[in-house]
Amino acid sequence: MSTSGTNIWQAGDGTHIDVRGLQPPEPLVAILMLLEQDCTQDRVIVHHDREPVFLYPELAERDWDHAIIDGDPGEVRLLLTRRQ
Amino acid sequence: MTLAARFLGGAKSRLLPVSVPFRFFTTAVCFHVIAWFVLVITAEDLPAFTGGPGMVLAALHLLTLGVLVMTAMGAAFQLLPVATRRPLLRVWPARLCYWLLMPGTLILAYGMASGHASAMHAGGAAVVLALAVFAIIIGDNLRRVGDLPVVGAHGWAALASLAGFAALGLLLVANYAKGVLPDHQAAGLAHMILAGFGFMGLLALGFSHVLIPMFSLSPVLPPRPSWTGFWLAAGAVLLAAVAAIARQPALLAMSSVMGLCAGGVYLWLMYWALKTGMRKRLGLSFFLIKLSWGGLVLSLLTGVALAFGIPIPNGMTLFGFLLIAGWLATFLTGILQRIMPFLGSMHGKDASGRPMTPAKLTAEIPLKIHAVCHVAAVVLCAAAIVADLGALARAGAVFGLIGAVAFAGFALRLVTKLV
Repeated sequence: MSTSGTNIWQAGDGTHIDVRGLQPPEPLVAILMLLEQDCTQDRVIVHHDREPVFLYPELAERDWDHAIIDGDPGEVRLLLTRRQ
Repeated sequence: MTLAARFLGGAKSRLLPVSVPFRFFTTAVCFHVIAWFVLVITAEDLPAFTGGPGMVLAALHLLTLGVLVMTAMGAAFQLLPVATRRPLLRVWPARLCYWLLMPGTLILAYGMASGHASAMHAGGAAVVLALAVFAIIIGDNLRRVGDLPVVGAHGWAALASLAGFAALGLLLVANYAKGVLPDHQAAGLAHMILAGFGFMGLLALGFSHVLIPMFSLSPVLPPRPSWTGFWLAAGAVLLAAVAAIARQPALLAMSSVMGLCAGGVYLWLMYWALKTGMRKRLGLSFFLIKLSWGGLVLSLLTGVALAFGIPIPNGMTLFGFLLIAGWLATFLTGILQRIMPFLGSMHGKDASGRPMTPAKLTAEIPLKIHAVCHVAAVVLCAAAIVADLGALARAGAVFGLIGAVAFAGFALRLVTKLV
């Protein structure tokens, strides 16, 4: 699936969203839109080109945790998990 | 911590130590109280104020430098490196900036209130040094950015205005002692236009391109109207400053119409962001931000009326008051009550070790008191200026002071939770 430059796909480890190359604040908006969709799993993997520090307060408000995980060179990969 | 997280030290460093932005914000909150307090004392002189040393000039600069510039610096140092992905090369210049601006503003305001020329010179020099350091830091950051062209253009135009208003400010201070300027009033008007609409105004417009979509969760603003708005705004500021210095009423009238058009484009962009944004319940901060847009329109309309020779009692004072208190102070207190909990939540942890939510760091009652009192203060003081009523201005200033104290209560509660 692709919405205004955002790639979203399902994999075994969760829903992936690639927001690399988007101009701020579009990555933030795309990630939050995905999280607010009912069909979203409890694990989302974000492929970003920067650490999205302004996303963290929004995640905390929505009861999602975040952790940086290993990604490709030049990529910031985040694992978002919904709090139980 | 994973390997990736360790390598991201550089990215994380875009977030400054919490003490850096918050020293600017908390000091701005204190200056906010002091400015309204000084205005309470000198309220009788507000309606007919036309410039010159005295308590009103001191209150004006406590508000502009102490609150508006202080807030803008704290926000720019923290938000710009994150938005542009270019960390500040060093943190100490930002701290130096603070240690020049804070005492410089106090000394300048003392000099203005007392008519003490050497205090005005010393304070003015410290403030100009702080502005120069700020310009170097932000200029260096903007120079390394390519992916936010509209924001960058507003930033560069704001820095150019900064150079102009700082130079004129030093000349105005020197003029009180040595009479170096051929036309003090003309230089004063150009100084106000470059500082209010140029430096602070263009910064507010530029940051709005990131902050308003970020808080309303809207897409990036459409580029063509954004560029149109920028060229109209930057052109209007340049033309108005030249027209003020050259005493050219026709040019001044043309610049005021350009400014009104720029304001119209900006408000259309903000409407677009709010309409397309995912977040519809924007809270009290946006109540103030929307009111500030009304203040912008009123200040521009007042400017147009004056430029076309339509008589308004104490029109120039009203124009300056609507610009500084009606638009900029309302806008920045709206932004400040949104970004202080937001930035605080990135640094604060709750008892379970999780990040604090912005909602836990805010305080609704003090902010509601501030909003009501701030609106009452602006309305009463504006009415007092037009009606030439000192007592009404004092009533407005008292509301402003109560609102500022309530806002300080919000900030104190937030900082107490963070430390």
